[in-house]
Amino acid sequence: MLFFSYFKDLVGQEVTVELKNDLAIRGTLHSVDQYLNIKLENTRVVDQDKYPHMLSVRNCFIRGSVVRYVQLPPDGVDVDLLHDAARREARGG
Amino acid sequence: MSGSGEKISGTTKTPADFLKSIRGRPVVVKLNSGVDYRGILACLDGYMNIAMEQTEEYVNGQLKNKYGDAFIRGNNVLYISTVKRTLADGA
Amino acid sequence: MFRSEWDPFRVCDLLRFIGTETLGEVYTMSSEEDATVREPLDLIRLSLDERIYVKLRSDRELRGKLHAFDQHLNMILGDVEEVITTVEIDDETYEEIVRTTKRNIQFLFVRGDGVILVSPPLRAP
Repeated sequence: MLFFSYFKDLVGQEVTVELKNDLAIRGTLHSVDQYLNIKLENTRVVDQDKYPHMLSVRNCFIRGSVVRYVQLPPDGVDVDLLHDAARREARGG
Repeated sequence: MSGSGEKISGTTKTPADFLKSIRGRPVVVKLNSGVDYRGILACLDGYMNIAMEQTEEYVNGQLKNKYGDAFIRGNNVLYISTVKRTLADGA
Repeated sequence: MFRSEWDPFRVCDLLRFIGTETLGEVYTMSSEEDATVREPLDLIRLSLDERIYVKLRSDRELRGKLHAFDQHLNMILGDVEEVITTVEIDDETYEEIVRTTKRNIQFLFVRGDGVILVSPPLRAP
């Protein structure tokens, strides 16, 4: 639940989602669900030369299981809040 | 390498009993990738997540890394085997 | 104590070995910090706000400060350095050429299913 809640708070911000097949997509976080499936809007592929077939993709749904990383906006990370949440999660989970 | 896992708590009957009996003992953990981790087994849980101390990482039989403490995510584990000594290959 | 050093692993295990469950509870309640490692995830919990090493699938390694994690080993790391190791074979000599690519990321969410190993910093004695 920790990261679901975290990503919900991040809706509207710019993130870069890196997939397990090395494709990296930057876009505005539109929504997220409990599986950490992600919907991005105003997307652009980071390495457009390598993936020209993605040029016209403007928004997308990403299945959570294919995500390797999400690069987060620096001001979208409240470190103290995260620590507390993680400790609570460790106790409850 | 193995076979001595039954001495601490009498006869080992089930896999779960085995796992309980090997806490605090030197073990080799082999991962699906073929990498071996040798060290002292601190504890483990139902997912076979493992906490180890004095861990050495062996790739193709060669020592590649040492970690004071190491957490290994259970899904990567192929087997856990007890050993008599941690430093079989010197180092 | 049997050992000169305070070692929560061993004390904890000793209590378990003796089978005195009540003693074990007293031990837990009396330690406010709860610095015991009774399950593997405790090792991660004790590394919150510390720099950790993470070994991932597909020959990737991360070093960064642990800000959050859950039971899947999903994590948020700060000031991250990622190292990717690639091995190429030389066309002529068939020698293995090992290359490492490094990059830095300020804040990174890491999906837990790619994690192989996490190593906390060496704890102070």
